[in-house]
Amino acid sequence: MTGTKPRVVVVPCSGIGKTYGTVSREAAYEVTEDLRPAETRLVALSLLVLGDEEARRVVGEAPAVTLDGCKLACASKMVKESGGTVAQEFDVLEVFRRHRHLKPEGIAELNEDGTELARALGKEVASAVDGIRED
Amino acid sequence: MPSLPRKKVGLVACSGEELPGGTVTRLATLRVLEQLRPGDTVTICLPLFLAGGEGDRAFARFYPTIAVDGCEKRCAARATEMHSGKPAVSIVVPDIVAERGLGNVEGSRRLNQAGMQAVAATAERVAEEVDALLGTRGRSRETTPTAEPLPLEETEPVVATCSCGSGIPIQKMMVGEETVSVLALPLIFEQFRKAARVPGEETGRDLLETVRVYNSVPAEAEGAYASALLREYAAFLLRKEALR
Repeated sequence: MTGTKPRVVVVPCSGIGKTYGTVSREAAYEVTEDLRPAETRLVALSLLVLGDEEARRVVGEAPAVTLDGCKLACASKMVKESGGTVAQEFDVLEVFRRHRHLKPEGIAELNEDGTELARALGKEVASAVDGIRED
Repeated sequence: MPSLPRKKVGLVACSGEELPGGTVTRLATLRVLEQLRPGDTVTICLPLFLAGGEGDRAFARFYPTIAVDGCEKRCAARATEMHSGKPAVSIVVPDIVAERGLGNVEGSRRLNQAGMQAVAATAERVAEEVDALLGTRGRSRETTPTAEPLPLEETEPVVATCSCGSGIPIQKMMVGEETVSVLALPLIFEQFRKAARVPGEETGRDLLETVRVYNSVPAEAEGAYASALLREYAAFLLRKEALR
């Protein structure tokens, strides 16, 4: 991978009321801390909601991958509204449909299936990051 | 008779994923929603103030709101004020950590021991503020806050009351020359209809009083509001009658 390419911005859903929000967040950590730490950076939605200048600059200068936990798609909407480009959107529910054998539960702490779903999503995101950086 | 939504306290956590303090806000807010004050609190995702609808943006005008922030940027408090309404209370995790003399909070993904103590202390503070806002301070509780971290799985799970997408029902009406959005008006009208209230001076007064619980009504516009409410209520009753 090219070291000079900008790090892909990963923006997860910040939901705290539903399991899929936690899955999206855990998947984002999986990518930014374990799978592609040098190629990605995490940006919190709360900063974009506030209109934080530094967060807007980061989102405006690099392609973003968004991970949304529900159909309201806050992460995707906020990146676009902040002047960023969403290179790829992930909807946790879509990923769940491809892994129907998993029954994710828990919000503060995911159960084993939830953690596995987050890992599966994390791998898909990592693969998307590779593709974006190759373009 | 349908009752209006019981007045609860809204909790908005910054949930900042890149900082340990953000994780503290998320877990502390969840603890209040699920364990400490499950019947008295409701939450909404901060981004919905922009990504959601008018009902979502009405959150902090409808519920007295506590903003819980993980750093001095105070994204939750400031963004709530910018996009919804001024929070009644603003809590910042580093302040609580300093007050309690807790150690360095570390680990955005997995909090260390100081982080878990910060979760407990922040949840306790939020619960106290909930009681103060609801006027229930000192009343006995099924769950007593504790400074020690409680494993979430030890208590019966309660689903956090999340306002995502549900919104607060709003109705627009003309008051004089101005169009105003009135929170919870459809619910209020339905309540009055079920109580067989007929449009008239007394009903107008009572409508105004009920609307005032959820909305700010300028003193100089009270008369105009009462007239507008009576007019809209009469129209509401006609629409209901036509649907029969």
